[in-house]
Amino acid sequence: MLRQPLTRALALSSPARAAPLAVRRYAEIAPQPDKVEVFIDDKPVYVPPGTTVLQAAAQVGVEIPRFCYHERLAVAGNCRMCLVEVEKSPKPVAACAMPVMKGMRVKTNSDLTRKAREGVMEFLLVNHPLDCPICDQGGECDLQDQSMAFGSDKSRFTDIHFSGKRAVEDKDVGPLIKTIMTRCIHCTRCIRFASEVAGVDDLGTTGRGTDMQVGTYVEKMFLSELSGNIIDLCPVGALTSKPYSFAARPWETRRIDSVDVLDPLGSNIVVSTRTNEVLRILPRTNEEINEEWLSDKSRFACDGLKRQRLVTPLMADSRGNLTPVDWEDAVVAAARALRDCPPDKLLAVAGDMADAESLVALKDLLNRLGSENACTEQYFPLEGAGIDLRSTYLLNTGIANVEDADFVLLIGTNVRFEAPLLNTRIRKAFIHKDTDVALIGPKVDLTYDYVHVGESASIVKDLASGTSAHEVLRKLEQAKRPVVILGADQLKTQEGAALLAYTQELALRLQDKLEDKNWKVLNVLQRTASQVAALDIGYKPGVGALLSAGPQVVYLLGADSGVVTRESLPKDAVVIYQGHHGDAGAAIADVVLPGAAYTEKRATYVNAEGRAQQTLPAVTPPGQAREDWKIIRAISEVVGVRLPYDNLDEVRDRLSQISPALVTYGDVQNNNYFAQARALAQSLQKPVSGNLDVKLKTLEDYFMTDAISRASPTMAKCVQAVLKQKQSTY
Amino acid sequence: MAAKETVKTICRNARPVMSSDLTEARRRALGLYRAFYRYIPYIIKYFDIPKNEQDCRCKLREYFYKHACVTDVRVIDILVIKGYMELKEVTHLWQQKGHVMSHWNPSAEPKPCDFLGKFLAGMD
Amino acid sequence: MSLGKYLALDKLSNFFNIIKQNGGIRASLYKMYRQDELKDGVLVGEDKFGNKYYENPRYFYGSNRWVEYSDKYNMDYDGSQVPAEWFGWLHYKTDLPPHMDPSRPKYKWMIEFTENMSGTTGQYTPYSTTRPKVEPWIPKRKSNA
Repeated sequence: MLRQPLTRALALSSPARAAPLAVRRYAEIAPQPDKVEVFIDDKPVYVPPGTTVLQAAAQVGVEIPRFCYHERLAVAGNCRMCLVEVEKSPKPVAACAMPVMKGMRVKTNSDLTRKAREGVMEFLLVNHPLDCPICDQGGECDLQDQSMAFGSDKSRFTDIHFSGKRAVEDKDVGPLIKTIMTRCIHCTRCIRFASEVAGVDDLGTTGRGTDMQVGTYVEKMFLSELSGNIIDLCPVGALTSKPYSFAARPWETRRIDSVDVLDPLGSNIVVSTRTNEVLRILPRTNEEINEEWLSDKSRFACDGLKRQRLVTPLMADSRGNLTPVDWEDAVVAAARALRDCPPDKLLAVAGDMADAESLVALKDLLNRLGSENACTEQYFPLEGAGIDLRSTYLLNTGIANVEDADFVLLIGTNVRFEAPLLNTRIRKAFIHKDTDVALIGPKVDLTYDYVHVGESASIVKDLASGTSAHEVLRKLEQAKRPVVILGADQLKTQEGAALLAYTQELALRLQDKLEDKNWKVLNVLQRTASQVAALDIGYKPGVGALLSAGPQVVYLLGADSGVVTRESLPKDAVVIYQGHHGDAGAAIADVVLPGAAYTEKRATYVNAEGRAQQTLPAVTPPGQAREDWKIIRAISEVVGVRLPYDNLDEVRDRLSQISPALVTYGDVQNNNYFAQARALAQSLQKPVSGNLDVKLKTLEDYFMTDAISRASPTMAKCVQAVLKQKQSTY
Repeated sequence: MAAKETVKTICRNARPVMSSDLTEARRRALGLYRAFYRYIPYIIKYFDIPKNEQDCRCKLREYFYKHACVTDVRVIDILVIKGYMELKEVTHLWQQKGHVMSHWNPSAEPKPCDFLGKFLAGMD
Repeated sequence: MSLGKYLALDKLSNFFNIIKQNGGIRASLYKMYRQDELKDGVLVGEDKFGNKYYENPRYFYGSNRWVEYSDKYNMDYDGSQVPAEWFGWLHYKTDLPPHMDPSRPKYKWMIEFTENMSGTTGQYTPYSTTRPKVEPWIPKRKSNA
């Protein structure tokens, strides 16, 4: 197998991708070498030297067929589908691996090229089963499409010896990916993805020629949080989605662009639906967030949207059992509880998948009732600048810019499972840019090598004050574009405020010395999709003091992480739960109001870097479930404090009054006031002694973290499979 | 050129449907009104509808006032013709009780238009 | 034709006979109230639900076989309470009442006759066998329930 060195492959592929992106503004501007002129089908094009023929052709809009080439992976050049004729070359050349040369004349549609493609296609089809009618890739299959476009119209394959086509045994690589290895055309995209992006070197090839097989060598699960992406990468039906197998054809589904809310990054997704049912979720390319990858939880937890749903309002009867009631009764009961409660005994808790619209509606309702007790489940220290300055709680560097960093310091976070696609960026920087990574916190597998500085929080203090003897300090200070990422989970403890203060001190000290004045060093990685929007709107982070004050009425807006329990409340407290899944929150509630999940409403979410994005409704809410802000709006009218918005546009007007950043969809605002936050945090730099710990340590912790993924049978299977794999000797 | 066209359009004499001028059209319309008005007691009797004469007269008046703004003689004529067709259907009992009652639309439920009403009914 | 018959005195004797057979004036009035008619006839048989079957050829064909529903039904009697085996006799499909018919099949797999349960809680309601698209959450019942 022809395989080029990784560094070269990236040097070849990066300029074409880097050019149009504004996010690359921090990238060093390399001295522009003279461009060379090449002719693609007699059309002249100027490209930098080192560009491949395939990329040059793409610039003039000539699409060259390919199977193995993928712009985000190293060049393999083994499928030979991209053969083109080059003048004065005796043989056709592989366009994906051939760098351009001055004055090169490429013919992508000549007789020789067409004959070469037909030949390649014929060889591929000799050993490819003709099972398109039962193949899940049918309709979105590269081989199918390209054989129609570039293949021969007749076959010379006659099985004269009745030996049959090549057949390969299927592999079992876990509950997410179904393998039909007979269909494999050995493009090695999955192997390259696994080793380059996912960082799991499990896949590889054995044998040569007809006997070549792609597999895991030994029967083994593909232990990665990004495994679903090899389904998208596979140009044929060799790797297909197991939960989606035999479910639908691509032409039957409707595709709705949306945003993922199961992790704080807000990956862009496409929701495939048919007959009001979410069938699968695919990634949508967004260079600034998820490129074209998607983590497994976001991709496969969608079957959780059909289980354990709240479909009708519920109310506790005289025995305390939740029984279905009409909306009218439930709204009146909730309104009565809110009205009769003294404002200081009222508490609203927002959960991890609450959208900005319902957050603002709930806060407005509470404020109109005279209460300020709106809080989120996740804690964030209020001392110092607290949540007043946006820069203290965001990923200021930006997700895409992380791959330009030359030193990454992770403090108390397992990025791999808290934000898998941020981890791919760090890994990309680690591999292609020789970025060093250091970690303070428990030792976890991040899929790349890092310097483990220790577990103690006091290390952060030493680094901040510059008294540390560790080599990491020296490297940090020498770095041109350092990045410090602090996990928000660490801020829950007593020492959280001090830890944040030290991290701010460290990051700002580094930032002040940088030549690149636009580079931001400080990053706080939130854990949930709703937290940033909630803090922007002015929710108090954490329920701590408010909960211990003994509230009489608790309004849970999708709060399912178990922060509020029956034991922590007074006996006669009324719990109103609004959300979409029957989980921890609904189980303790007296009134349950069914809301819509993220695929069922048009709603705003703000991701960890402060980028507002909106989901679009792909299906209708099940049963009698309603959009969340409407429920709160209806209650407000019954209570007698009518909220002044009747439709979504008016809610968004209200959102933009609070912060215009909440409605500038797709944009991320530049964060400032770092120095002020640092000054406010000076007084908080108290000694810290504790150890940093992270919740998600290994892969089995990753799959079930919220109400949707806990309801998903696929995610449950994943956990079981990972635990089983752990027992295995391999 | 355009002005000429306009003048031509205004001055164009349309072929009358029945009436040659507004007075005649008015006479026909009153004739229809009278015919319907006189038949109202029989409608109540033959169709056995739960309405009294007063209700029916109001409804009849409503239909005529609905077209009070019509000034085009040809349109008035057509409306009168349609009115007579309706009357014939009623007098010949080609219409049934349901057809007659449908003028009052008794089974229509008003759609909620306030937020709370729409919310409870599950309408957007 | 006898004088009695000529003077319609036999009707009178029939009348007294019917009242006597139905158990006196009180019982006759009750029967009139319950089934709107009063007839005399031969008790042909009784089924296991307590319904009594009568026959009197004096009445015209079509009304000379009838059933008096068991008292336990009170006023809630209806035609579906006649079991299948008596149905045939009652509707002149056969002249042999079921208990005198030796050729009537009896197997142990034959289920008990039930009356029509429509409109009651025991009625049959059709249900879908397809899996619902969305599985709702079933709240846990409190232990004190």
